[in-house]
Amino acid sequence: MEQLLVPMICKVDKVIQETPDVKTYRLKFRDEGMMEKFTYLPGQFVEFSLLGSGECTFCIASSATRTGYFDCSIKKAGVVTADIHNSLEEGDEVGIRGPFGNWFPLEDLKGKNLLFVGGGIGLAPLRSLIQYCIDNRNDYKDFTILYGARTSADMCYKEEIKEWQDNKTVNVVLTIDKPEETWTSNVGVVPKILEEVVNPVIENTKVITCGPPIMIKYTILSLKKLGFADPDIITTLEMKMQCGLGKCGRCNIGSTYVCKDGPVFTNEQLKSLPDEF
Amino acid sequence: MSVETFVTDKAGLQKFYEAVMASRETYAPVEKFGKFDFKRVARVTECDPESPIAKTQSIKPLFFPRSAKVMKFVATSAGTDVSETDEDPLAVKRAILGVKHCDARSLQVLDKVYNWDYIDTDYQKRRENTVIISTRCDRADTHCFCTSLDYDVENLDALDVLIVNGSDGKIYIKARTPKGESFLKETVTGQASPVTDEIASPDLKKQYDAFAGSFRLKMDYKEVNAKLSKIFDTPEFENVSGNCVSCNTCAFVCPTCHCFKISDEKVKDTGVRYKSYDSCNNGYFTLMAGGHNPRPVKYRRWRQRAMHKFVYYKERFGENLCVGCGKCTIACPVNISIFEVVNQVSAAGVQE
Amino acid sequence: MNYTKEIQDIAAKLFAEGKIDVFVGYRVNGFDDNQVPVLITDPQDVSKLVFTDKSVFNLVNYLKNDHTRRKRVGLVVKGCDSRSLNLMLTESQVKRENLYVVGICCEGVVDEAGQKMQNCTDCMVPDAVVSDELLGTPSGSDTLSGSYKMNADIAMLAEKPLTERAAYFEEVFENCIRCNACRHSCPLCYCAKCCIDQETATLYNGANTTSGAFHALMTWSLHLAGRCVDCRNCEKACPSHLPLHLLHKQNESVIYENFQEHLAGVVTGDRGAFYKYSLKDPDDFIM
Repeated sequence: MEQLLVPMICKVDKVIQETPDVKTYRLKFRDEGMMEKFTYLPGQFVEFSLLGSGECTFCIASSATRTGYFDCSIKKAGVVTADIHNSLEEGDEVGIRGPFGNWFPLEDLKGKNLLFVGGGIGLAPLRSLIQYCIDNRNDYKDFTILYGARTSADMCYKEEIKEWQDNKTVNVVLTIDKPEETWTSNVGVVPKILEEVVNPVIENTKVITCGPPIMIKYTILSLKKLGFADPDIITTLEMKMQCGLGKCGRCNIGSTYVCKDGPVFTNEQLKSLPDEF
Repeated sequence: MSVETFVTDKAGLQKFYEAVMASRETYAPVEKFGKFDFKRVARVTECDPESPIAKTQSIKPLFFPRSAKVMKFVATSAGTDVSETDEDPLAVKRAILGVKHCDARSLQVLDKVYNWDYIDTDYQKRRENTVIISTRCDRADTHCFCTSLDYDVENLDALDVLIVNGSDGKIYIKARTPKGESFLKETVTGQASPVTDEIASPDLKKQYDAFAGSFRLKMDYKEVNAKLSKIFDTPEFENVSGNCVSCNTCAFVCPTCHCFKISDEKVKDTGVRYKSYDSCNNGYFTLMAGGHNPRPVKYRRWRQRAMHKFVYYKERFGENLCVGCGKCTIACPVNISIFEVVNQVSAAGVQE
Repeated sequence: MNYTKEIQDIAAKLFAEGKIDVFVGYRVNGFDDNQVPVLITDPQDVSKLVFTDKSVFNLVNYLKNDHTRRKRVGLVVKGCDSRSLNLMLTESQVKRENLYVVGICCEGVVDEAGQKMQNCTDCMVPDAVVSDELLGTPSGSDTLSGSYKMNADIAMLAEKPLTERAAYFEEVFENCIRCNACRHSCPLCYCAKCCIDQETATLYNGANTTSGAFHALMTWSLHLAGRCVDCRNCEKACPSHLPLHLLHKQNESVIYENFQEHLAGVVTGDRGAFYKYSLKDPDDFIM
């Protein structure tokens, strides 16, 4: 197994400062032929190592439909992520293992209305799916993105959100927690805006949500209140991981390995797990 | 499959051990500070294959090292490089003497997790290249409960060669697997003579019955599996884990605990990445960057430990993640017994 | 030494008067006559409490981390345990008003084999130095002016030349499995992030190499220099039976000799050798 734990080397192609504490790293394999073999689907994650500091789990924030690179958006939160933020620059090299885990149920989503509910850095895994769906736009019906952040400065992917807003086939709803002078859009927490502003169609709609644990919890409550069924609510879990191979035991929730059976779960599946996430 | 049995005496057994050591790299329990750990040995006098079970560490580190080097790396501003380490030649043929039955069994349990989905090839190579030579215990220790679990201790096929102290000073050496059989062909000397199963079996049975009759702890694992799976929310977990000091040593000495962590050690530009043991009783085992922790308090971590051993692993891989060796209880500074914990919790759950 | 009756009565009284939420004491372990710590929250369970010369574990450990946080605690302390409690108080880790301390004038405890513990033979402070109630007859020894009882192993070490000593320690640490049970069972290792710990480690990763173990244990022992009270909780927890006291007693003897006969935790409010600095401090033992 030791070989499986040895990462491939990637070069940082571009660093984008998304918010004061989130940076997106655009990565390319040093060995260019690797990129073709690196096939992944929205929802999967990689193990990202800053050699010497350690390894962290991040979802892939871009879609394989945009070829030649992949993105990881990293929030400065712990020891390794702080090191990454402080020392990793364009041209530097990092280790990548993956892709690991399952992906969003792409077949199930076909022909459905899609509602994306994201909060903060939780937009990263959704962005992968959003890009994928926009690139295959004809496969899906109505397309709504609800995205909330604490402040307008904390919104990730600002440029890309503008692109989505310019796209006539995409309905984008933005919200921030507290009023700001220059902010003309919605104000309020995500579940509130979901109920009061978005007011989604329940029929034939799949909801994909990701954000801080507390946001997910209340969003699911709101969705249930609106009348969504458990199998139609899809989320992706954050759990401490180390190996990504279903061996190290960290991501166990009951007999489920989040790194193998997840990180994407429907609310129906989550309900059968012990309440430990 | 014909499996061969030999009978010999104490002197003959020593000769057999010598032949083992001459034929392969041999590991056996070596004493230090009153505790036995499996180490490389060259002479029979260095080790004690019949070391007391309560004082012997498990053989897990010989298959899943306490710290394995994953890779070496160079990380400078000029570039980064990773390379595999050349340590631990996996192709070397090994034999382990003095393996306890519970330890041998633990390998069967670990096989399940290492061979699902991604295959741990290093572990597998170590398994393939190792002959397990196990001396059956003559009596159970205070904390042993192997006979109460989901495996057949008497006919355990996790070991390649079985050694049993029979009556009248007779010692039986018996192959349990084809690997063991061909190994005995190489190593059994003239001092041991073949014996038919008709003659050996009654004596082996007698020894086993005496051993099986010496257990203080007995339980019905099926009942524990069934009851535990229904009582995730019982407050009894708080009671049983009350005096745990969260020292984590239970997981380190457990032959079946297999959680690990990955860490880097870097000096200037070069470094090594290690894979080392970890324990779910650590407060920061599931602590995520940003502060979210699904198991922030002690009893939740204990619940994970107990449930992983007797519910989750069983659900996933069909085995209990416990072999009943009692090593955790002996190592525990406050003698918390996994046996007592699961029995007490499942009993309390029923009363409510 | 048997204070079972007295301790049961005290605990029952404290619960009856509503003075405590939890009582930390000892109970018989249930399979032989050795004892394990018990945290009693239900007054009906006080009959489980015992105290004899088998009451070995230092219960002050349960005052750290989340064991008894924000609770009013009654606990039993022997001489050595009370010194570690004293340090916890001095270092502002516990509030005195939340504790009811039953001090013991200790006559020494025995290990699992029934042998008197080595730290009890060397003990210079048998009577509890912090207590609300003292059980037993004080030994009457004026602990601070008593002559230092040199540990036999340290005396043996001192006779070895430096190179041999290094080789000896190398051999000792070889069997360390880096579980850090020593650090977790030490009442004075209350740091939330420890430099030798597995994951929070910033100085050492948890890799199990002899040099890793050597450095981690050395650093750990230096952090306890002038604080270790020789209760031997670490040795009780060590699954490899490593003689960890060698490190601590070595530090203790050097500090006693060089810093005005300082013994950790004997005086409340005494911040210990490493917290005080004087230009007159000797430094000739520093390599």
